[in-house]
Amino acid sequence: MKRLSILAMWLLCGCESARYFVPPVVTAESARREDVDLAMLARGRRLFAYRCIQCHTAPSVWNYALEDWPGIVDSMAHRASLKSTERDAILAYIRAVRRQR
Amino acid sequence: MRRFAYVYETSTSPPGGIDIEQWVTWRTHTRDDPDFDQVDLRHELEFGITERLQVAIYVADWNYVDGETVDRGFFYSDSALELIYNLTNPVIDPLGLSIYQEYKMGDRLFEWESKLIAQKNFGPLILAYNATLEAVWEGDDLAEREGELVQALGVSYEFSPRVSTGLEVLHETVFPEWRGRESATNLFVGPNVSLRTGSVFLTVTALAQATHTAAEPDFQLRTIFGMAF
Repeated sequence: MKRLSILAMWLLCGCESARYFVPPVVTAESARREDVDLAMLARGRRLFAYRCIQCHTAPSVWNYALEDWPGIVDSMAHRASLKSTERDAILAYIRAVRRQR
Repeated sequence: MRRFAYVYETSTSPPGGIDIEQWVTWRTHTRDDPDFDQVDLRHELEFGITERLQVAIYVADWNYVDGETVDRGFFYSDSALELIYNLTNPVIDPLGLSIYQEYKMGDRLFEWESKLIAQKNFGPLILAYNATLEAVWEGDDLAEREGELVQALGVSYEFSPRVSTGLEVLHETVFPEWRGRESATNLFVGPNVSLRTGSVFLTVTALAQATHTAAEPDFQLRTIFGMAF
């Protein structure tokens, strides 16, 4: 029974981990392409990971169209206590990830 | 926002964020006293200080007790200060970790609680684990001492950003007067559900006792209602 439970948990985690989204690290090349500071993109990634999960799991940046993201981030900015520079960093990070693929 | 009512997660309030939480915990039916009922209420204020540090104040913990073997009525229990410091993130780091400290003071009561919180997010699946050490001094001159080691495990699946459900398990070992040979072990297991919309959330967990400790409640239900400002 114990082995069965461990196997079930392993399968469950395995199935999930096969498709779960970890916000990717952006490269210096992406920063140059976006004409933004790499440190700003790194900050956007951290904010994306830290602030999103205070209310829900971190979504994939591919879940929504690029033009929808500003409205989505704005709708949650108050709850996530996002300053305008933090909002901009998150959106810059999302743009960079989508274009570096 | 909490997905669990008993298990803590590693995330902290954003800097400048203020949350209010109202806790209600109902415990009922011990083997010693089948008519036992206790309702604990907590009014908590949480403040996000930095990206990693959260401070909370339990303005007042109070309870209503009823049963054959207890003094019936309303009682103020304590007030407390809670600190959570986040070390790593459960999404971008291999394992999310936070440390937790709580200092509780009441009528002839002082309690110190220290917790290590671990969490990993696998997409919509969240696993959280808490290892807690509690030290209690109570009674006249705070002469009565007790230690408690608690391990808690929570699993939650997020069906949508507004709904998640899962399971919580609590394993407690109580050491009266810090004596190992007088220790008692209790195990509680049960489901949870968490609902959220906008700036409010409601989390409910029901736990049943899986051991046979006569002085512990056979059933307990905790509800946390929270609102962010």
